[in-house]
Amino acid sequence: MATNKNDRNPALMALTSSALLLPAYQGAQADAPPEFAEAGMQYSKYKEDDITAKKAFGFTDSTRQRFDIDVAQFHLLAPVLDDWSVAVDVAWEDMSGASPWFVGESASGDPKVIMSGASIEDNRTEVSVTTRYYFDRGNSGLSLTYSDEDDYESKAAAFDGAFNSADGMTTYSGAISYSDDHIDPTQGAVPTNTTSASKDIYSAWAGVTRIVSKRAIVRFGLSYTYRDGFLTDPYKFRDSRPNERKEWVASGGYRRYFEEQNSALHVDYRYFNDDWDVQSHTLDVAWVWDYSPAVTYTPFIRYYTQHEAEFFNNLAQQDQRYFSDDYRLSAFGAFSYGLRASRKIQNWEVSVDAERYRTDESWGVFSGEESPGLVDFWRYGIGLNYIFK
Amino acid sequence: MVQRVDHSFKAMGGPARFRMEVDDVGLADVAVTAAVAEVERLERKYSRYLDDSLTSRINLAAGTGQVVTIDAETAGLLHYATTVWRESGGLFDLTSGVLRRAWDFRSGRLPEQSEIDAILPLVGWDKVEWDERGVCLPIEGMELDFGGCVKEYAADSAAAQLQRSGVQCALVDLAGDMAAAGAPLQGAGWPIGIRHPRARDSAAATVILPRGGLASSGDYERCMEIDGVRYGHILNPTTGWPVGGLVAVSVLAEQCLVAGSAASVAMLKPAPQGLEWLGGLGLPWLAIDRDLQCHGNLLEAGSD
Amino acid sequence: MTVKTAVAGLVLVLLCGCETVQPWERGLLAKKDMQWTPNIMDARLRSQIYASKEASSGGAGAAGGGCGCN
Repeated sequence: MATNKNDRNPALMALTSSALLLPAYQGAQADAPPEFAEAGMQYSKYKEDDITAKKAFGFTDSTRQRFDIDVAQFHLLAPVLDDWSVAVDVAWEDMSGASPWFVGESASGDPKVIMSGASIEDNRTEVSVTTRYYFDRGNSGLSLTYSDEDDYESKAAAFDGAFNSADGMTTYSGAISYSDDHIDPTQGAVPTNTTSASKDIYSAWAGVTRIVSKRAIVRFGLSYTYRDGFLTDPYKFRDSRPNERKEWVASGGYRRYFEEQNSALHVDYRYFNDDWDVQSHTLDVAWVWDYSPAVTYTPFIRYYTQHEAEFFNNLAQQDQRYFSDDYRLSAFGAFSYGLRASRKIQNWEVSVDAERYRTDESWGVFSGEESPGLVDFWRYGIGLNYIFK
Repeated sequence: MVQRVDHSFKAMGGPARFRMEVDDVGLADVAVTAAVAEVERLERKYSRYLDDSLTSRINLAAGTGQVVTIDAETAGLLHYATTVWRESGGLFDLTSGVLRRAWDFRSGRLPEQSEIDAILPLVGWDKVEWDERGVCLPIEGMELDFGGCVKEYAADSAAAQLQRSGVQCALVDLAGDMAAAGAPLQGAGWPIGIRHPRARDSAAATVILPRGGLASSGDYERCMEIDGVRYGHILNPTTGWPVGGLVAVSVLAEQCLVAGSAASVAMLKPAPQGLEWLGGLGLPWLAIDRDLQCHGNLLEAGSD
Repeated sequence: MTVKTAVAGLVLVLLCGCETVQPWERGLLAKKDMQWTPNIMDARLRSQIYASKEASSGGAGAAGGGCGCN
């Protein structure tokens, strides 16, 4: 409102605070379960660019084809009883295509990828159930996730909580999670470097959210993840990684609303660091623009850059204890940009989105050998949401 | 395509209007029905003109010792009224309505002091016995009148209802008490004309309401002039006589209810104190005094 | 930049005064557009895709389960 300087006028404070006890003003103040149940479905197509002839061995187009994934997602969130909500998330993925098998040296001396051949077919089903309890000063949730595919099974549990300070200006959050994963590589297409293995993932996260002004809110988080077990890629020919990995992440987020533009600015930053010598910066910026009460456009841009793992080499050094030629452990920078558009029609909301992701060694802030296996991809999606009101 | 939808109806003894910008007219219909129902619910519950309203039941039980059961919303309103009564130094008083028995503004006749003196013992918020569960008026003839806050509260409640039904841009206008839920797409807010106190149909000023509430109070609504002296309908609950303060006040606040109380209290004070009260609150305001001079920062204040 | 610098920055920002925003002034902050994750399905899918193509993951709250993609 127009004047802030006298916000603390005692008479106005007294009037306003006693007015706000009335039912008409009991909006989204205290933590409360969602008012209405909502359900959503989304279908997405993920398609990696073919690897160029310059970067791969092989003579036909089919040997240069990479991954395609069809993803169908389902989301349901419903209030239950007075203080609880239940959310169910299901995802089905149908993957096909090839991924880099190993990197070899071409006649000219350049590293080139040998693809696994268009032979990998896999389906993944993930089901996640979250129950959440809301109390005066916060909420707490327990979620169980089960993911199953031909060669991989994961069972995970996570517990999280959020507590608001007495004045509601600050929210303290925390989460712990555990995942019990098993790998049984599909035999046949390429030789695998294990027949059965497992890993455990332990993770803890703490965050603080703070209201900065009537229009802005900021969040910081720190997390630690410990992975213990078989961390090598079973399908990569030249891959041998340590049996544990310790990761630290520091993150910050910012949301600001611009009334004149009917828009919200989202900025998220993440710093990642681990004991494999990988470190990375991620910056995500989105502009959520309410073009009209019913139509929202969200353009976004993301930048990512990582330092290579200490045991990464394009021509993996197999005489060492640990080695890998996996492009995902190389130094690179990635830009992705996209647009999401959604339209509300009564209780329905239809949305479409598209994203382009591109990588290049020279875009990174950390120098290193450029991997021939770096991936570019397109993602398209169409979604439908319904609110039961 | 965004469309403007207007819905006019009668409620709380005056004209009422919803102005909305919606994408889907069907959704607006549903929202309007729910919001009109909300206004009517509050009117049925609190109108002193309806025999079966809660207010009438409370007033009918005055002096019988009977405690009338109330719900949380009513207790909330009584609690709010207590706060305004305290903050106004006793000038804002839900029991002062009985003074109307002495003052008939259509008669063109001043009441005798004895008539006023006979009614004054029935006035006084501190005499009302109430808690979260019930209310009791201890003296026969005492009356509660929620008129001083229910219309503003209904405007806020209707706006909240429109928003809950999915209307993102709406302005509720209950005979001059406005509540905006979201600004329209074009412009910074809803343009609202504020009436000139002595000229019925011309606007004194136009203000832009981006969100929140705007309420106006004025003694141009009911008054009489005797021997060149204006007697307005705003009565001091301790003396029983018209205040003779400001002529008109408009206030903008996050809630129409708070805006309304801020304006009413300013009108209940002598003019200099009324202006001081308004300046101290820190809300955008506009006041017009007896010499038709404008005061306040409302006209400069847009949305910040 | 190290984790320590990040923590120091965090503490600094939290200590320096934020204006007190009363509960009734938090309407804009409560908008759906201002949420940390306005669309759950989108957030889940994107974080999984990025995690499977990059060496980093996590940092946005409780970690989910793993998948064979990385």
